[in-house]
Amino acid sequence: MEIDLSPEDFEFRQEVRDFLKENTAKPGADYSQWRMDYFKKAAAKGGWDVPKWPVEFGGPGWSPTQHYIWDQETVTASLPWDMPFGIGMLAPILMNYGSKEQIDRFLPDIRERNVNWCQGYSEPGAGSDLASLKTKAVLSDDGTHYTVTGTKVWTTMAHMADWMFCLTRTDDTGIKQEGITFLLIPMKQDGIEVTPIITLGGAHSVNMVHITEVKVPVENRIGEEGKGWTYAKGLLQHERTGLAGISRSIVALENLKRQAQSVTRGNRTLMDDPAFRSKVAELEIDLLAVEFTELRSLAAAASGDDPGPESSILKLKGTEIQQRIQKLTVEAGGIYSAAWGVPVGHKFARSGMQGYLGGRANTIYGGASEVQKDVIAKNVLGLKRS
Amino acid sequence: MNFDISEEQQLLQQSVERFVNENYDLATRRKLVDSPQGYSDDNWSQMAELGWLALSFDESDGGFGGNQIDTMIVMEQFGRGLVVEPYFANIVLGGGIMKRSSNLELKTSLLPGIITGDVRLTLAHAEEQSRFDLDDVVTTAREDGDHYVLNGKKSMVPNAATATHVIVSARTGGGQQDKDGIALLLIDSGDLDGNHFPTVDGGRASELSLDNVRVPAERIIGDFNLLATAAHDAVLALSAEALGCMEVLYKSTVDYTQEREQFDHPLSDFQVVQHRMVDMFMEYEQCKSLLYRATLEAVQDAPTAVRTSHALKHLIGKSASFIGENAVQLHGGMGMTEELAIGHYFKRLLVIESQFGNTDYHLTQFAA
Repeated sequence: MEIDLSPEDFEFRQEVRDFLKENTAKPGADYSQWRMDYFKKAAAKGGWDVPKWPVEFGGPGWSPTQHYIWDQETVTASLPWDMPFGIGMLAPILMNYGSKEQIDRFLPDIRERNVNWCQGYSEPGAGSDLASLKTKAVLSDDGTHYTVTGTKVWTTMAHMADWMFCLTRTDDTGIKQEGITFLLIPMKQDGIEVTPIITLGGAHSVNMVHITEVKVPVENRIGEEGKGWTYAKGLLQHERTGLAGISRSIVALENLKRQAQSVTRGNRTLMDDPAFRSKVAELEIDLLAVEFTELRSLAAAASGDDPGPESSILKLKGTEIQQRIQKLTVEAGGIYSAAWGVPVGHKFARSGMQGYLGGRANTIYGGASEVQKDVIAKNVLGLKRS
Repeated sequence: MNFDISEEQQLLQQSVERFVNENYDLATRRKLVDSPQGYSDDNWSQMAELGWLALSFDESDGGFGGNQIDTMIVMEQFGRGLVVEPYFANIVLGGGIMKRSSNLELKTSLLPGIITGDVRLTLAHAEEQSRFDLDDVVTTAREDGDHYVLNGKKSMVPNAATATHVIVSARTGGGQQDKDGIALLLIDSGDLDGNHFPTVDGGRASELSLDNVRVPAERIIGDFNLLATAAHDAVLALSAEALGCMEVLYKSTVDYTQEREQFDHPLSDFQVVQHRMVDMFMEYEQCKSLLYRATLEAVQDAPTAVRTSHALKHLIGKSASFIGENAVQLHGGMGMTEELAIGHYFKRLLVIESQFGNTDYHLTQFAA
């Protein structure tokens, strides 16, 4: 057991800090130009544009500690926007199961952020029970293409995406996990209709996607027909670990403390209120623990072991903590949290309510908490259900 | 021992329930919420015609001599329908203060208009530094001959844009947190500068500035005790409304989980889901009991009435949060959409939590 940073780690941290400082957006600079420049410079550092990618695909090959340092340093820096769908979700599947042609065709554009991807998994009838999906893909007689018809839902950023990686059903005769096929489908074509879904916070980020008789060449199929579930499952685990957002919560809690200090109660601040203070303290204690749970998980992954039982709790604990911070922020906003769309009273109250409402989805997407617990009961504790 | 409401009150309940069922489907409500005013004048006139605006006033003042139980009945049904007309601001807050005012001249001149719906009141008590403390008042009312001159800022005033008059708490003397030296004054809303905006539940609120506003001395309505009594009534009314919201949320969740199938079963087959809904139901019933208790104590003017109202708002806050969050959670992605009613009830509960003291505030008051 060793938790102190080595001299090399300190050096690395300084290098990260210097890099982030040099590459923040200059006032008045063109945003998209800066964004593209940032990723180019990060690539020139030796894979800093794709920190989680393996070395053979251009990743930096960092140690768990270095990843941890990167996460900590970047969470407070203003990096250019980036979507996880291509870089974090599809890329690992391509690397593991894609053909050489597919890797050469898709990976460079993903890395250079030239192409936006979205994830076509959930359907109106297939949420937590994803394997019951029904979007149909029928192979043509000559074996050259699939014809795809169905509906996907909760598709984040589908309205901005160029491509969708999509789970489709090619066989419904066996058990439902078999007969699922993983296809890559261009979004900008006839037969694809994207309808916005407005969520509680008033925002539009998720969509309904209707796919009607869209032809997809077989070259766009990842791996074998009927094996899509196996490919996607590994990725889901990956996604869930990433959703814990521990570093972000640590920063959010610090912000909350500052905000509570700006709220006066008579001649004291809200942070002097014993009830509020102990809720903040409880959060801090949970964060101290879960931060190390994440480190244990990272270390296990780096040594090539299967993710241990500790990784399975990361999404559950991480999202629960996010929601508690969001709720306390609304509480700190007091009467002003009720105002909508205008900043009145405490400056943070407006985004606090938006964050809280939007954050209710955190325990629903990527596997609802109830289902996560089922998975842990079965896979980790070895429990059976009658 | 009898927890039944009277025959008249049953008729009232049915009448409000019918109004809500006929006028408040989600699409109609959305139109009202999106309109500039935020509610319907027709609905407001109908409420006056049905006598609901007169309920809580004495018969000698032209009312029906009702009490907090009648208000509870109306507000609970309003909660079930997410009614947006400003009954709370006008009748519970404004009317509640005016009917108890010792300024009889002012009272007699205003009550008839309140009952017809033409006079529309609201209460401006909150300030940025006060958080939930009614007695923390910085706004000043300086005596100047037979007038008072008011200066200060008031926050999150409900329905001020459509009010004809605003009741303002201001300090005529004493220190920032003294109960003595606080006066309630009636101000024509035309004399106030307002920043008007929507609230997260589709309601309306305002930030008001008082800049050397001159108010005749005969416009003094009362002192801090009147404000405290109004706050007591407000807690009861908001809690009744919250109970109506919670009932819809837990029942819709029970319905939805029986329809929605995943893993080849309705969600309601899963024990974890069943137990969660049993917890929601238990919270709801506990809130109902404490609402009845607190309301009856208020009607009887029991010595424990105020303390029980603190207990009530605390429990309502905790349970509303539990029921609201779990209703969204068990509806899954659908619970997150503007399209389903669930989210709208959840948002109304969030605003109720911020009005007249949140969960922590009332626990502190109860324990004090």
